Amino acid sequence: MATRPAIVQLRERDVATSPLATAAHYIFQLDLVLLAVVGGLVGYGLWIVNSVTADDIPGDPSFFMTRQSFAAAFGAVALVTLASLNPDLLRRARVPVYVVTAALLVVVLLTAPIRDSRRWLDLGFFNFQPSEFAKLGLALVVASLVASAGTGGLGWRRTALVLAVSAPLGLLVFVEPDFGTSLALAVVVAAGLFFAGARWRILVSIALLTAGVALAALWLLPSNGVAVLKPYQEDRLLGFLDPSSDPSGSTYNVNQSITAVGAGGLTGRGTEGASQTTGFYLPEHATDFVFSSLAEQRGFFGAGLLLLLYGLLIWRGARIIGMAPNLFQMVLAGCIVSVFLFQIVVNVGMTMGIAPVVGIPLPFVSYGGSSMLASLAMVGVLLAIHARGRLTRQRGPRIG
Amino acid sequence: MLLAVLLFRLWALQVVSGDRYLLEAQENQVRTARVDGARGTVVDVHGKPIIENTPGTVVQLWPADVPADQLDAVIRRLGALLDVPEGRLKRQIERVANDPLTPIVVKQFVKAPKPEYILENPTEFPGVTIESSEIRDYPARRLAAHTVGYVGEISAEELEDRDPAEYGLGDRIGKTGIERSYDRYLRGAPGELEVRFNALGHLVSRRFQSVDAQRGNRLRLTIDSELQAAAEQALRDGIVQARELDDAAWAANGGAVVAIDPRNGAVRALASYPDFDPSIWSGTIDTTKIARLGDPVGNMPGLNRAIAGLYPPGSVFKPVTALAALSEVNATGSAPILRTDELIQCKTEIEVADRTFRNWQPRDEALTLPYALAESCDTYFYDLGLRFYNLPEDRGSPLQFWARRMGFDEATGFDIGPESEGLLPTPEWRRQHYKTAIDRLWKPGNSVTLAIGQDDLLVTPLQMTRFYALLANGGKLVEPHIVAQVEQTGSDIDDPIVLRRFAPAPPRTVGLDPEHIRAVQQGLYDATHQEYGTSSSTFGRYPVPIAGKTGTAEKYVRLPKGYLEADHVVEGLFDQAWWCGYGPAGVEEKAELAVCVLVENGGLGGEAAAPIALEVFEAHFGIELPDEQVGVGNIAGQTD
Repeated sequence: MATRPAIVQLRERDVATSPLATAAHYIFQLDLVLLAVVGGLVGYGLWIVNSVTADDIPGDPSFFMTRQSFAAAFGAVALVTLASLNPDLLRRARVPVYVVTAALLVVVLLTAPIRDSRRWLDLGFFNFQPSEFAKLGLALVVASLVASAGTGGLGWRRTALVLAVSAPLGLLVFVEPDFGTSLALAVVVAAGLFFAGARWRILVSIALLTAGVALAALWLLPSNGVAVLKPYQEDRLLGFLDPSSDPSGSTYNVNQSITAVGAGGLTGRGTEGASQTTGFYLPEHATDFVFSSLAEQRGFFGAGLLLLLYGLLIWRGARIIGMAPNLFQMVLAGCIVSVFLFQIVVNVGMTMGIAPVVGIPLPFVSYGGSSMLASLAMVGVLLAIHARGRLTRQRGPRIG
Repeated sequence: MLLAVLLFRLWALQVVSGDRYLLEAQENQVRTARVDGARGTVVDVHGKPIIENTPGTVVQLWPADVPADQLDAVIRRLGALLDVPEGRLKRQIERVANDPLTPIVVKQFVKAPKPEYILENPTEFPGVTIESSEIRDYPARRLAAHTVGYVGEISAEELEDRDPAEYGLGDRIGKTGIERSYDRYLRGAPGELEVRFNALGHLVSRRFQSVDAQRGNRLRLTIDSELQAAAEQALRDGIVQARELDDAAWAANGGAVVAIDPRNGAVRALASYPDFDPSIWSGTIDTTKIARLGDPVGNMPGLNRAIAGLYPPGSVFKPVTALAALSEVNATGSAPILRTDELIQCKTEIEVADRTFRNWQPRDEALTLPYALAESCDTYFYDLGLRFYNLPEDRGSPLQFWARRMGFDEATGFDIGPESEGLLPTPEWRRQHYKTAIDRLWKPGNSVTLAIGQDDLLVTPLQMTRFYALLANGGKLVEPHIVAQVEQTGSDIDDPIVLRRFAPAPPRTVGLDPEHIRAVQQGLYDATHQEYGTSSSTFGRYPVPIAGKTGTAEKYVRLPKGYLEADHVVEGLFDQAWWCGYGPAGVEEKAELAVCVLVENGGLGGEAAAPIALEVFEAHFGIELPDEQVGVGNIAGQTD
């Protein structure tokens, strides 16, 4: 009962001050360090894309950079929008978000495959990749489901509900096929359960279940003639265990990538001298393997700088998890930060041969509009959570 | 923490083992290709050029540099501009499909302004380069065309036989003749071309030579180009003259001249007619011209008759029979089957096993061996043939045995090929070769006709020349060779830097009694000097003593329609005209030149072949006999 007046008071104060002053005040509640870090990441990312793709389209060295800049601009709009929204509003939209996400993932499966995958919706000016947005969508849904479980922790039934709601999305992405993103969705679910305080027993059971499924997918079922993973997916995962086993086959990418990273040395080979990149030895050097190209062109300093920026991103993200004004927002922030961390670690690890090759974009850097847009949107949500957390602290705890 | 792991790994890869990966990345893109060095030149014994190089403009196509969707268009444009068949280009491209470093030669020796057009329109001709290269040039034109051979792109079979470290796809190698046999000296050391490629196989840098190609070495032949030219001219003229002199020789249209130094086997001249212009192999190759080389209507100009032509020798073989008979002992082992002082009746004809064998002229006189050789009495040698036939069977085939020792039925070891080995018929060979029972039996008639160089006997002019060199040097078999030494390219032509000298194999003694050889030498000298000698009208008055023997051998010949304008196929026995001999005769150490002349279907040896041989001696000794002193067709020299 004591909280009611506080809300009234807030509204009164909103009315009392000018909209401009309110906006300015709100801006200062955002995590400006995170904003600066992300700004640096986007800028650095654009510069990287520009220098690794300079030779890709003869006669148009900034082809990719230009398109990526547009995506970043759209992403900025998304960031500003989400940063100014109360995340709790998003919680209310969980059903439409879920339905739209699922619908888009179904629609994308009806399109003509591009390079054997159905991942993109051709919007004319832009190839829209719904699975990128599914990460944020699922995070929202999972966070709202676990947050409404009430006090007393997360039980078996609620966990089962979360899994049941999430599984269709994950499956839809998996059959595109987009193994990497479906893993990212799994990370969202796991993070959601973890930050919601699911009991250890539940977490361990799920981990065991996952291990069992992985074992079945990789070994038991294939040996009985049921293929779960595409052959290339299986090869990549197994090839991770022994990269030199088949240099021209499934581990070609990794070997070329390791060579590229290693060749970069301390200071890099520059744009002209980075033969692994300019000579197309490095596959997907603007997307999945953009880190290898960066490492080749700019060396340890250039790649280290990127990792430093990512470190700051995760640090600020972790801080925001702790600052979240309520369980929903905490879990949401936790899911977002976990997905970022997962993508960074797996992507960078993959380019250096310490993680299996799964097609996961490097946030803010890999060329791809959807990824850029989705990443910036997620940062927008983090910023909003930060602001709400700050505002709540200033006015005392708010239990909702 | 996880990010720290990534940073650590980054450090390990980039800083700790960066050098290794840098090397790996560099090797990823650099490919090296071999570039042939310019071929070495070939000069004659006096240093006169026989094969040289001339600069040419070559249009090349690098298929890997052509965008796939433009390849057809580029081929079409090149075909139209340079007048080359598109099908050939496509086949060439297929052959190097796996090898982005090998360009295909679209056309060699392209004349202005076509290269300029290509250079001015680079977008129409992606992947097309204009290179300057050297192509074979023959300053002496047709001289020794069969001997020099030609150069062409290595074939798949040739590649298989060779050391992959030395030869690669697309290499140009010697295909025949000197170019083939001495390829390793002529081709020089290949250079290395470095090219940077991307993963798609597209060029990313200009090609540059990291190792310069080295020009091949110069070869000096034993050939004397003046003598060679004289031999070729004499052969050409002699063949025409043979046709004019004798209606029976209307089909004369081929022949060979071989001249070797009997002391060491050095070949001074090696001519084969019909010949061809070896430049048909350089630059753009016209396949119709190449096809003509093997066309029987034109009497197969590509055949090197001097070393690969097979002919029955006829009477030029008689010295072999004589030496074999002098060396072989009789049935009881008490005496040779022929003694040098023995007299044998020369008759008009003799009967052997119910068959009549005629002499070439009516005759009835007892003759010594030299006399019989000089007038080329057939029945004398029939008699010797019969003596061989009558030897006990456990002796095997002694005539053939001795003939083999004198160099027949085997390759001479001449340094350029391909040589024919000839055919020396034996009872064993007859059994295997023939089908019917009667044909498979070796009969007295076979021994009789073999004794005068007929039967199934076949020899090459080079084998015969080597045998006459043996007669000239007193019984030693030499190994004919045509390349004297390998010289440093560019070194002084009169005082060259010799890189390798090919010492001739030492002449091989074959076990003939010098006294026997002297008897034969006497016969050959008488043949060119006595009134009754078969070619004394040609050589009798020549200031340098020449000894030699005529031969007129019957050969079953099938001439295609169109051969010398023949309007139908002609089959039958044609006389192959021979003359073999040497000079100066008399002192064995001083004999400088052994010569054999063969005129295909040329009629009588004394008429068709001997005058050609005289011209070769005249060119060699530099002494010409005025024409009016050369009598053609005196009584004894008229026939065999």
